[in-house]
Amino acid sequence: MGVLDGKVAVVTGSGRGIGRGIALLYATEGAKVIVNDPGVSVDGSGHDEGPAAQVVNEIKESGGEASPNFDSVAELSGGENMIKQAVDTYGRIDIVVNVAGILRDRMVFNMTHQEWDDVIAVHLKGHFNTIKPASVLMRQQRYGRIINFSSVSGLIGNPGQVNYGAAKAGIGGLTRAIARDLGRYGITVNSISPGAATRMTATVPDAARDLRSQAGVTTGGYDGKEVESPFVRRDPEDVAPMAAFLASDDAWNINGQIFYVNGGRVGLAHHPVPEDGVFKAGLWEMAELDDAVHNVLLKGKTNPAPPRDDVEVPGRDVDPMSLT
Amino acid sequence: MASPLEGRTILVTGSGRGIGSEVAKLAGSLGANVIVNDPGVNVDGTGTDDGPAAQIAKEITDAGGNASANFDTVATEEGGENMIKQAVDTYGRIDGVVHVAGILRDRMIFNMTEEEWDDVIAVHLTGYFNVVKPASVLMRQQRFGRIVGFSSSSGLEGNTGQGNYGAAKTGISGASRVLARDLGRYGVTANAIAPGAATRMTATVPDASRALRAQAGIQSAGGQQRETSAVSELRHPKYVAPMVVYLMTDQAWDVNGKVFNVRGGEVSVSHEVESYREFHKAGRWEIAELRDLIPTNLLRGVNNPAPPPADLDLPGRPVDSDG
Repeated sequence: MGVLDGKVAVVTGSGRGIGRGIALLYATEGAKVIVNDPGVSVDGSGHDEGPAAQVVNEIKESGGEASPNFDSVAELSGGENMIKQAVDTYGRIDIVVNVAGILRDRMVFNMTHQEWDDVIAVHLKGHFNTIKPASVLMRQQRYGRIINFSSVSGLIGNPGQVNYGAAKAGIGGLTRAIARDLGRYGITVNSISPGAATRMTATVPDAARDLRSQAGVTTGGYDGKEVESPFVRRDPEDVAPMAAFLASDDAWNINGQIFYVNGGRVGLAHHPVPEDGVFKAGLWEMAELDDAVHNVLLKGKTNPAPPRDDVEVPGRDVDPMSLT
Repeated sequence: MASPLEGRTILVTGSGRGIGSEVAKLAGSLGANVIVNDPGVNVDGTGTDDGPAAQIAKEITDAGGNASANFDTVATEEGGENMIKQAVDTYGRIDGVVHVAGILRDRMIFNMTEEEWDDVIAVHLTGYFNVVKPASVLMRQQRFGRIVGFSSSSGLEGNTGQGNYGAAKTGISGASRVLARDLGRYGVTANAIAPGAATRMTATVPDASRALRAQAGIQSAGGQQRETSAVSELRHPKYVAPMVVYLMTDQAWDVNGKVFNVRGGEVSVSHEVESYREFHKAGRWEIAELRDLIPTNLLRGVNNPAPPPADLDLPGRPVDSDG
């Protein structure tokens, strides 16, 4: 008996890393799994059917049911094919898990349009491409689970990842919006913001992390140094239990949330709701806003990347009252 | 009048109407040279009309300010580059970029077409990249710059029928947080505004559909439902402009990487999407442990924003003992 007995799942990007861990655990828990992975490099180039086929073999050798798929999530036809394969092979689609992703890190002033487009296509459009066709069937059957993957890169902010941060934060917004589209049909939509040591995180050199840290740039991710704590594990398979719980019937009323999951840590992300603010029954003057922003709104908050001391910054040493 | 933006050149996309036009006019009145960008499209992105941008540029110059109209689309790389180039060619530099331009193509996710998804992402999210990329190159060189993107409570809190718009708008807040870290050390700031105002765009959401959603128990983020007639004057888009323009000033040099909510005379900072409640285990969780922990502890006090109706046969939902 598993918590996913009889369910059919599509797990994108499950040839390796976090996706692989989820596919394996889903199968152990009784789900039939479409193991999708075109086997591309971390930057999205190339094609290799080995990883998805390998995971399917592992599942079958353990007595589970799985079928490999090599389509790209970056095309709507790819997403449609995955859902179609689930229905053709196993008769239905209950669970979609969107793990597939690539990285093309670059500081914004050096980023090419191609690097922007490719990352938005795989991550953000990639979510739409599987969710759209799946949601049609899930709505009809009045049951479904959609599990998306967001990231601290966009939720908190990492330098050199404007494409990835935009896509991953966008996935958070997509999750909250369509949770409201689909909740009344017995469907839940949630996101996981994972932490794990995988091929993707290995592409960020420790030197780059150290440099950013020295420059006083705060990031949402790890600083590259392993913390010696039993709570901070980096095993990608540690993300799978939460993805399995969210897919189970017991999670029927958990909807529209973002969870931070790494190692033995499970956290609930704060919604970006307004904090206490200021009000004026009329148009604000510049000097009034300067006072309100610095003394009320940003009290206790910091600039995540303050200008270097040797940069001449207009306003840095100016008396605020000179605005009046 | 004081001129805190004297000598600064600011591009405002989508400034032919609504919030953008108010930002452009206020910036112009405070001394900035303004590139008034607007291709004059309809709310769904169709058509073009040079009238709106030309009209706002004329209003600024008639009032003694400096402005130049631009009719390019933000949805293409060339369009964004043209706007920055026009700023440099006309006024010699680019100091601020405010990306207000946007369209709506609302549809429930199960009915949304690929084109409806692509068009909204292209204008809002890739539109943001299209203008900030070329601007950031120059801002980094001159060690000064101000970038303001427009997010929305739709993405931050979630509205039905706006999967495309919600993704794009939250994507802009994520992009702002990254840009703040890419550019902060060079004297450039990047922030986002989640506005509330009555404009052409909000007018496309029928009151009937709002009422239907509310009856179905679906929580909605938009301020429309919360408005009362007593404060309807404060729904005018001019009330959003001062905070945007303040972020352009020298005094806002250390305001970076934040999302501000602005509606009427209300200004607040958006809560960071940090973990606010969490549990730890020295090892891998069992699914059964998560089942016992998450609904009652981690999600204590957190509601399903669109709960399934009571008469829906739902696996996992406890059966009412009276039923």
